[in-house]
Amino acid sequence: MNPHLVLRVVSKLLIPLIVVFGLYVHFHGDYSPGGGFQAGVIVAAAVILYALIFGIENAKQAVPTGFVRFMAAFGVLLYGGTGVATLILGGNFLDYDVLHPDQAHHTGQHIGILLVELGVLFTVFSVMMAIFYAFAGRAPDIPEGEW
Amino acid sequence: MTEFDWTQLLDYALMGMLLAVGIAIVRLRNLFAAVMLAGVYSLISAAWFVTLDAVDVAFTEAAVGAGISTVLMLAAMLLTAREAEPVKAIRHWAALIVVSVAGAALFYAVGDMPVYGDPNSPANAYVGMDYITSTPNDIAIPNVVTAVLASYRGFDTFGEVVVIFAAGLGVMLLLGLNPGKKTGGEE
Amino acid sequence: MDILLLIRDIASIALLAVGVLFVLAGAIGVIRLPDFYTRIHAAGVTDTLGAELIVFALMLQAGFTLLAAKLLLVGFILFLTSPTATHAVANAAHRAGLNPLLSRHQPPHPRDTETGEKS
Repeated sequence: MNPHLVLRVVSKLLIPLIVVFGLYVHFHGDYSPGGGFQAGVIVAAAVILYALIFGIENAKQAVPTGFVRFMAAFGVLLYGGTGVATLILGGNFLDYDVLHPDQAHHTGQHIGILLVELGVLFTVFSVMMAIFYAFAGRAPDIPEGEW
Repeated sequence: MTEFDWTQLLDYALMGMLLAVGIAIVRLRNLFAAVMLAGVYSLISAAWFVTLDAVDVAFTEAAVGAGISTVLMLAAMLLTAREAEPVKAIRHWAALIVVSVAGAALFYAVGDMPVYGDPNSPANAYVGMDYITSTPNDIAIPNVVTAVLASYRGFDTFGEVVVIFAAGLGVMLLLGLNPGKKTGGEE
Repeated sequence: MDILLLIRDIASIALLAVGVLFVLAGAIGVIRLPDFYTRIHAAGVTDTLGAELIVFALMLQAGFTLLAAKLLLVGFILFLTSPTATHAVANAAHRAGLNPLLSRHQPPHPRDTETGEKS
């Protein structure tokens, strides 16, 4: 019997819930406390939990290091890209009102805020994962008696 | 003699706990316990931010400070040592002098600060009230904090994201994401 | 209608009081109990039972709204994670070799008889 059986079963239940909660916090940033920073940290916490219980090698297969590098830059690109898109559509840099023709309900603002916070989510998630991979990948294996 | 405000007891209790945990972190030599107490410090700060009605800040503090930061500091502690080395007596005195001077300056500056919730303070008088009154017309979302963060002050948040990215880039360049492999130029 | 509100208030007060009592008992237990494993048990009582009763009392106060559904989810997550955390700490301590404080009979640690055992 695996010595970490209870942890494995419970974390297999909980890790998808944590990721869904992170997405919920991001999409409800308009209506309740939340937004991109908190959501990125919560999704990173889910992946770190997976790495702690199932091992760093399995975590690097699930979330590879190339993906982490790409997402860190892609988040900043998404944020800046939203600004450039508003420039192309005729408004100022990061002027969200031009993103959607419906001015009465300010739909452009909703779209702009969602995209921008998504960029923040990607960058925060990948930077947390990068720091964790850089530190935890180096840790020497502690033999059982040394604690 | 006004009615005693019982909710102030909560503020005093939380600040007292923060003080006790801070003193314990400084006095402990066992680094494992110090890292755990740093996580406890972040959690009590998050509770204190909730009593100050700053829920977004409390959310971020709890997630980052009590969650990710504790794990990362534990991973760093595993690479260094379990116990802090003892400090020479002369450094105690130097640190005490520096902290006393800085603390005295801070206490002197507290007398000039505005009262909590003052409507004429600089944070509330200039653009603060304008953001609150014009958010329903301009942006139409209920959460004013997100409106200020992502729409009114979008440039500042862009700068924040770039700073976070630069920090991650520094870690990736200095340490590398695959430190187990013996690659050529990594150290 | 009024009597229903009264019953709801009394029930939530009772649940809150019992929950706070369990949290207090857990806090005193963590300080006063002699051994690590007994202290873990006290901390687990605080986390699981005390927090769950308080969440239940708040759910009664919230009525039949979205807030009660969110509190239900919070209670469910607490119900899953607190016992798991207690188990993880106790398991780690046992595998590291911390023996519980028994009175007379000291059974051999499973590590020492690992060649024959399959558990």
